Amino acid sequence: MGIEMMIESFVNFLVNLLLSKPFMEMLTKVIIFPGLMFPLLFVVFAVWFERKLLAKVHLRIGPLHVGPGPLGGLFQLIADALKLLQKEIIVPYRAHKILYNILPLIMPMLSLITIAFIPVIPFPSAGPTNHLVIFYTPYSLLVVLALFALRPFLVIGVGWASGSKYTTMGALRAAYQLLAYEVPIMLSVASVVMVTGSFDLVKIVESQSNLWFILLLPIGFIVFFVSMMAELGRRPFDIPHAEQEVVYGWATEFTGVHYVCVMMAEYVDLCVVSTLITLLFLGGWLGPVLPPVVWFFIKFGIVVVLIIMGRGVYPRLRIDQLLNAGWRILIPLALIQIFLVFFLAKFTPWLLPITV
Amino acid sequence: MSIMRVRWGPQHPVSGQWAFWLDVDGDIVVNMEPDIGYTHRGIEKIAENRTYIQNIPVVERTSVFDAGNIVFGYVEAVEELMGIEVPERAKFIRTIVGEMSRISSHLYGLCLLAIATGFETMLMWFVNDRELFLDLLEMLTGARITYSFFIPGGVQRDLPQGFYDETMRRLDYFEQRLKDYWKMFYLNRTFITRTQGVGVLKREDAIRLGVVGPNLRASGVEADVRKDEPYAAYDQVDFIVPTEKDGDAYARGAVRFHEMEQSISIIRQALKRMPDGKIRVKVPVAPSVPKGEAYSRVESARGELGYYIISEGGNKPYRVKISAPSFRNLPAMPFLAKNVPMADIPTIYLSLDLIPLDVDR
Repeated sequence: MGIEMMIESFVNFLVNLLLSKPFMEMLTKVIIFPGLMFPLLFVVFAVWFERKLLAKVHLRIGPLHVGPGPLGGLFQLIADALKLLQKEIIVPYRAHKILYNILPLIMPMLSLITIAFIPVIPFPSAGPTNHLVIFYTPYSLLVVLALFALRPFLVIGVGWASGSKYTTMGALRAAYQLLAYEVPIMLSVASVVMVTGSFDLVKIVESQSNLWFILLLPIGFIVFFVSMMAELGRRPFDIPHAEQEVVYGWATEFTGVHYVCVMMAEYVDLCVVSTLITLLFLGGWLGPVLPPVVWFFIKFGIVVVLIIMGRGVYPRLRIDQLLNAGWRILIPLALIQIFLVFFLAKFTPWLLPITV
Repeated sequence: MSIMRVRWGPQHPVSGQWAFWLDVDGDIVVNMEPDIGYTHRGIEKIAENRTYIQNIPVVERTSVFDAGNIVFGYVEAVEELMGIEVPERAKFIRTIVGEMSRISSHLYGLCLLAIATGFETMLMWFVNDRELFLDLLEMLTGARITYSFFIPGGVQRDLPQGFYDETMRRLDYFEQRLKDYWKMFYLNRTFITRTQGVGVLKREDAIRLGVVGPNLRASGVEADVRKDEPYAAYDQVDFIVPTEKDGDAYARGAVRFHEMEQSISIIRQALKRMPDGKIRVKVPVAPSVPKGEAYSRVESARGELGYYIISEGGNKPYRVKISAPSFRNLPAMPFLAKNVPMADIPTIYLSLDLIPLDVDR
């Protein structure tokens, strides 16, 4: 077999691959939506939107210059990221060199992987389900929550590897907070799973076609929302990053690439959490008249605004107050919701979605 | 568990231009030592080599946030030494500038208290509304922060045209804003949980530690130089001295809020009752001051401010001793910062409204 034959067969293979519908579909899903491009564009837009929204609350103008007209400041984040990527990587003297360099790079990867398991909108495709999802699995909710629960270990590792007092304190705070709030998240999700009888996010959304779960399980929604705000470390729960107390918490020592990665992971997490809240409690892409994609983005946007507004109207809680709220209020509330589901199933089963 | 010694500042987001040593046991601060001296400029020594008039901008630099009241005390002491009687109109103008300076200083202190608990919105609101008074001061004195407006014998300028209307308009607007502050800041559940019961300074402790100003009044002691030893036009206006009982960080914030309300009322009364007449008596540029000593005290925004000036004759003072309010409030901080969570350190520090510039001088 000559070299030309090999090249020809390889080119044929590539052409066939690019012409085949499943491959192109998968490529689009992975790279554009809901894969890589969507969270990255979301990060750019969310940072700009957060700054503009908070500026309105603060009675300021906000970012104005890098960007066109009323969208002034939209590309500020890109400019900042480009600047930060050029910076020298400074490793502190006391840091664990390998972990300090690797762990912050893993954080955005972990957040981006989570996106792969989340179905977003219905779309006729060649895969096992007619939805835009990269890896379809009937246990998608479980996988997403499991990936989400991995983050505290990275945070603790980062805080320890930086070898500074402030990062250690920030990491310990993050450990307390993130581990404490895993429990109410799991319990509030349990009520959703009990109602639908499935870990499949597609099924969970479709079973809300009559009644959104925010109306059926209001307590569960509140518990999930508040706990997820705490998991994200948004104000009033931004205790791990509390600037006035521990400088920047577990990320104090990071500059340049590492800082970009940490910040990106935080905002991709915001994207994941908003999507999860939309799917679990707000009926996902379901809604009358408008196409599903519009409904999804309307609900998604409302959730993002609610999460961001916490920074505008609240000061920060203290760690003991936060833990009290978690263990003594949210967990009992989540348990009450679970018992309420029992009662609903016993006395008003017609309210619950029928699942197989 | 072993005790970790943490250096808090001067490279820290809220430390200001000084540092603390914190002995931390887990999350509990067992001991705190302030490390002062980063901004020591030797103002008291510099003042010995300059004439009395040249000293006005120098002593103003002890705490520029409250420039009006800082110079107030110095000028009163010099006038006592020289035996000058100030015209009535100058007294009223001085009162107005002092109260505007107090409001802008309190707004600055409250914005720091807001950011100590991570409340960005209130930080921006307070700083934004501080501009109202800085603009008025610019209109009156020609400078926003360091105006050096008082001189021995009176004030530099008379009220400009339109000052009365502009001030009344801005005071009306500011009163509306104060209502917003009360709803947004003082009734905010999260802010209340963060500040109530934090850094409780009891009445007897406050007196024993020699705390002055709003911090003392927040502990329930009704002490105010403006009432106790009225100077300038304070005996001709009606106001009350707001106090709180609790002595915690919330009470210290609330006292400052109520003092701003009183300041508004004082400015209004002073503007209405202001007599016509001269704004200063003639004093030479380098006056020769008779031998003697003088002590004056005024109520600055952070508390009682004292000046002790000794003259050996000639046109330069022999000694200018400044008793700064932040320095007198300083002992309260290590006292309060014992066995408290680390997260309460910024709240305690900034609710006492300590300014390192003022402590070091």
